[in-house]
Amino acid sequence: MWRRSLSAGCRCFGFGSIGAKRRGQFHSLHTCSPPALPVGRITALQALEFWKKHFEESGVTEPDLSSHYIVAHSLGGKTIESLEQRKLTEFLSREKTEQIWKLCTKRLSRMPVQYVIQEWDFRDLTLTMRPPVFIPRPETEELVELVLTDLKNKPSSGDTVQTCLEVGCGSGAVSLSLLSSCPQLQVVALDRSQEAVELTKENASRLKLQDRIQIHHLDFMTEADEACSRCSPVSVLVSNPPYLFSDDVKTLEPEILRFEDPFALDGGSDGLTVIKQILTVAPKILSDRGGIYLEVDPRHPPLIQQWVEANVAELRYVETRPDINSRPRFCVLQKKQRELDVK
Amino acid sequence: MLKCGDMLVSRWLRLRSLCNRVCPHTRREERKGLLWRRTLIGHQFTGTLASSRPCHSDVGDLYQNECIQRYLQQLMQEYRYICQRLELPHISEADRRALIKKHTELLPLADVFTDIEEALKDQQEVSSLLLGSVGAKDEDKQLTELLKEEEAQISCKVLTLRKNLVKALVPIDPLDSSNVLLEVMAGRTTGGDICQQFTREMFDMYRGYAWFKNWDFEVYNYTPAEYGGLHHAAVRIAGIDVYKHLKHEGGTHRVQRIPEVGLSSRMQRIHTGTMTVIVLPQPVELDLHIDPKDLRIDTFRSRGAGGQSVNTTDSAVRVVHLPTGTVAECQQSRSQLQNRDTAMRMLRARLYQSMMGEEIKHRQTVRKQQVGERSQSDRIRTYNFSQDRVTDHRTGHVARDIKEFMRGGGALDNLISDVLENEEKQALLELVENRGNGRDLTNPD
Repeated sequence: MWRRSLSAGCRCFGFGSIGAKRRGQFHSLHTCSPPALPVGRITALQALEFWKKHFEESGVTEPDLSSHYIVAHSLGGKTIESLEQRKLTEFLSREKTEQIWKLCTKRLSRMPVQYVIQEWDFRDLTLTMRPPVFIPRPETEELVELVLTDLKNKPSSGDTVQTCLEVGCGSGAVSLSLLSSCPQLQVVALDRSQEAVELTKENASRLKLQDRIQIHHLDFMTEADEACSRCSPVSVLVSNPPYLFSDDVKTLEPEILRFEDPFALDGGSDGLTVIKQILTVAPKILSDRGGIYLEVDPRHPPLIQQWVEANVAELRYVETRPDINSRPRFCVLQKKQRELDVK
Repeated sequence: MLKCGDMLVSRWLRLRSLCNRVCPHTRREERKGLLWRRTLIGHQFTGTLASSRPCHSDVGDLYQNECIQRYLQQLMQEYRYICQRLELPHISEADRRALIKKHTELLPLADVFTDIEEALKDQQEVSSLLLGSVGAKDEDKQLTELLKEEEAQISCKVLTLRKNLVKALVPIDPLDSSNVLLEVMAGRTTGGDICQQFTREMFDMYRGYAWFKNWDFEVYNYTPAEYGGLHHAAVRIAGIDVYKHLKHEGGTHRVQRIPEVGLSSRMQRIHTGTMTVIVLPQPVELDLHIDPKDLRIDTFRSRGAGGQSVNTTDSAVRVVHLPTGTVAECQQSRSQLQNRDTAMRMLRARLYQSMMGEEIKHRQTVRKQQVGERSQSDRIRTYNFSQDRVTDHRTGHVARDIKEFMRGGGALDNLISDVLENEEKQALLELVENRGNGRDLTNPD
């Protein structure tokens, strides 16, 4: 079960329509009832305009995009542009209008769009999304790119089957992207959240990748040995572990605070708790010269490098790579080749 | 008793021998009022060209053109000269190589020429026989019919051969088989959104055309305007000979209508608007090397550390090539990485166009000098919804049933074929006129 954080600074809206589970959970500082359904018939374009304005007035972030993606999804498209002109200008049925209103009302509570429409795209895949499982960030698309580049450059690739371990798979974005691009790859994925394990299994089935992935409900912090036993030496360890500083978690926007699993975000006071655990255990899981790919906070790379050099002799810090915004975001390490014992 | 066929054959042989006696009577034929024209190689043929299929104006018709005739003559002269030179005993290796190269280039043309000569000879024989059989008796009527048929066939063959000859002269655009980046942009009007509505319809039309031609239609960028109109969009179209078919779509398209939806529909008057189409050939990826250091990539950038601390649906990417200032942006996909890849492809196409730009500009300048100034703002085509017709101003081609036309199917394809043929003609005329100006043909190099 995940904790819902209700800090005093958090503004809450009380809506009857969201569901019994939530009733009584929120006290409303500013009660706003959701906008009523329109009296006459309207077109999709009109619905778009209406909700964009309403989101703006209600302080909902990215009002234009929110409206855009929800209306498009209701009409069966990923984007408004992909839809026929006709569909946008003809009158919506009562059911369709109700559906749009229902979804947009959810967004009024600051539920992330990805949870509202229950899906999102990651690289070339479309994945199901469900609270509280962590929503993949754009930066993580680049993490997959790094792993793929190295996998393709490895001399052994092509003949042998390679295995990859993902710690903290969430919705399965990273694992499934790797599988989708590498027919030779097998993946073992772990997550401490039962919901995440379920969701990854669901996405794997939908993408017909279930045969090459094993998903285990394990907490890498407390069950590392169990994790090691579940996978024979892997050539790649990849993770987007919780890396936020505990203090920073308190200041996150409602989209994250109210809906996403805090355990997927909080990396302890220095954000390095889970990262250090991964790096400590890695030598036991990796084959020689196996690679580690981590997504981290921009402040982490030099700290990680120092720490590894002082504490994990079997690992070599290879490089730091930037994300699309030029922030240092990815750490690449490697397990050193074991020296032969000469006795 | 001879069989029917044998009878015909024996008559044919008899008439053929008659032919040699009939031939010299050309004066009589002229006085009969038949139309005769001199061809390049001195043969004569009837003016009553028996075409078994309807000809719509195409490059082949340029055969009659004086410049073309002169050009063909020049080429054949060149060919004969080369053949003579190659016969000479004392000729250097370098010269021989050069001559052989030119010979190989001209050989296909020379072959068609020879074929035409042969066909004309046959035709003359048949014509003579026919003339000789004027006023023939009944039993010869069947033979006359056969002869007429044969003459028609040969005429057709000659026509086709001549068209092929001319077509072979048309300069080939090496970019014809390329894929393209097609962009549509709404024009400006004083009020209302007629331009944006029209741009959206044009976008749909090209999407329909891509489907019709079995091409791949990949949207790179789409910036909608209000009320369902389109501000601008960029699409990659891939397939066979895409650039060849779409290159002449570039330019300003004009619309005239009484708008049905949008702001303008309140006033029931005929409105005019414009939109612009730009077609860029898309290069093979390898041709262009872009240094990552020369690029600035703009994406949604949060104030804090980004990453896990932010939830966003803003995946738009803009790529700027700093040295040239070329920009490409994309927000087509929900995935930021996909948008970045698409923006990069668009950037490459634009950079390539800049690279090629110099060459294209030169060609256009030469063309303008020949054909006369036509500024960018002149519309190439008008879509008149009120009068239900589409008019292309380069060829005068008029298409009806504008609703059908805007589906981007056969009607558009016909118009495009027409424009293509017209442009081929222009290109060829330009070529022969240039060649005709001061080139020394007795000294091929």
